[in-house]
Amino acid sequence: MLIRNWLHYIREAFSSVYRNGWMSFASIGVVAVTLFILGSFILLNINVEYIAEDVKQQVEIVAFVEESLAADEVDLLRVSLIRMEKVEEVRFVSREDALERLKEEFGPLVEGFEGRERNPLRDSFEIRAIIPEDIPALAKEVAELPGIARVDYGRGVVEQLFSITGVVRLIGIAFMIGLALTAMFLIANTIKLTVNARAKEIMIMKYVGATEWFVRWPFLIEGVLLGFFGALLPTVLLMLVYSEAVAWTSLNLHFLPLVSPGMVIMELAQLLLVLGTVIGGIGSLVSMRRFLKV
Amino acid sequence: MRGELTLIELKRVSKSYNNCAQPAVANLSLQVNRGEFVFLVGPSGAGKSTLIKLVFREQTPSSGQITFEGRDLSRLKQKELLRHRRRIGMVFQDYRLLKQKTVYENVAFALEVIGRPAKEIRRKVPAALAEVGLTGKEKAFPAELSGGEQQRVGIARAIVKDPLIVLADEPTGNLDRNNALQLMELFETINRSGTTVIIATHAWDLVDRMKKRVVAMENGCLIRDEQRGSYGNEHVST
Repeated sequence: MLIRNWLHYIREAFSSVYRNGWMSFASIGVVAVTLFILGSFILLNINVEYIAEDVKQQVEIVAFVEESLAADEVDLLRVSLIRMEKVEEVRFVSREDALERLKEEFGPLVEGFEGRERNPLRDSFEIRAIIPEDIPALAKEVAELPGIARVDYGRGVVEQLFSITGVVRLIGIAFMIGLALTAMFLIANTIKLTVNARAKEIMIMKYVGATEWFVRWPFLIEGVLLGFFGALLPTVLLMLVYSEAVAWTSLNLHFLPLVSPGMVIMELAQLLLVLGTVIGGIGSLVSMRRFLKV
Repeated sequence: MRGELTLIELKRVSKSYNNCAQPAVANLSLQVNRGEFVFLVGPSGAGKSTLIKLVFREQTPSSGQITFEGRDLSRLKQKELLRHRRRIGMVFQDYRLLKQKTVYENVAFALEVIGRPAKEIRRKVPAALAEVGLTGKEKAFPAELSGGEQQRVGIARAIVKDPLIVLADEPTGNLDRNNALQLMELFETINRSGTTVIIATHAWDLVDRMKKRVVAMENGCLIRDEQRGSYGNEHVST
């Protein structure tokens, strides 16, 4: 009896999708558009975070060493830096190395500063933190070490960057919830129309003694089908578009690090399909409530 | 013994709808036994349909008590309510058939909905269709049938689940006299097999002819209750 009932529910659901051709088409379209926007936004959000993380990783502290320090004192300083709790990596940059770097960047502008006497630069340590957010605090600790002349880490800019990525994340989440609710509302309305069209059938079921769930299942499955098919289209589209976009950026804007498609696309596909299905199901249950009052 | 005989009992039942001062049913007491055939007569708005809805438990009384097989209908839980409705066959003036389903499917629907096994459905649907005289029309759609035939499908759907009682609200209201007469005879056959039948109707000539129990209502009140009765003078006012 159970299997027979399920066959009945599924058959009813499919035939209803077919019978309400244009309505079904409209629902699927609405879900597709909404989930496409939602999916694009999720991808955008993931990439903003990814880039922000990348920038964060590049943030480091530069600690300049007092000129009077001897080589072995510099070594001791280096050891005490490495032993600090928040420190991930310490790199020593001698004043000669620093000058070389400048030359690479600016070329002839820095000619004529070679030699120990004429080099105006200092030895320095480049320090990376385990957690980028710790950098301001760590910089303070480093500055207090004896033998450190000055500490630089892009004060202000770093704090701002961190607070901006936080805000972007919040806005993103709010936006995504809003879109999901919109899609649910639209599906609920569409199914309400198909339920309306079948109000008579529901009433007859009621009169012959059908249980609420016997009435409900076909509509629930119908909603789930609409949601699922609605999600399928943007999923496939986003997969293709995103792969293309990443391929294009890596060729033309290679300084922009994007999340590789392999890392996100399967999760995104799962998320969109599950979301479409759930949205469709909830939408149809919501729209049926009124009709099931016995 | 008397308790077992009684199927439906209404005790001082009133029903008012919230937006109406005049009650649709007022202080009505009535008893229907198993196997009885009852005509419910009276002008439009007398409360006949409301009475049928109360028995089906589509409505609950504002005051008073309705018992069905000794059980208080106002106190049914969801599951008991379903069981109650499954024991009632409803027949409507407008047939209420599903137009996209065939005759066979419409009747089978009543059994599918309550989860009867396929084997039972295959056995009972043809039997019910034979009883109402529609053998051979299984594959027709409602739109291809005459009004009388459509109502027969409605009756087959009502009786296919072997109900204790058939409730019919103006079943012949959309039919000509000849068809109406045949349907009344069909109801009588159903009744003869032991099923209780209650028919709300305006068809006074048929009521007079059938010589069954007649319960007459007016303005929500019971004004006459006669075994082997006639429609009476009420038809003058309709």
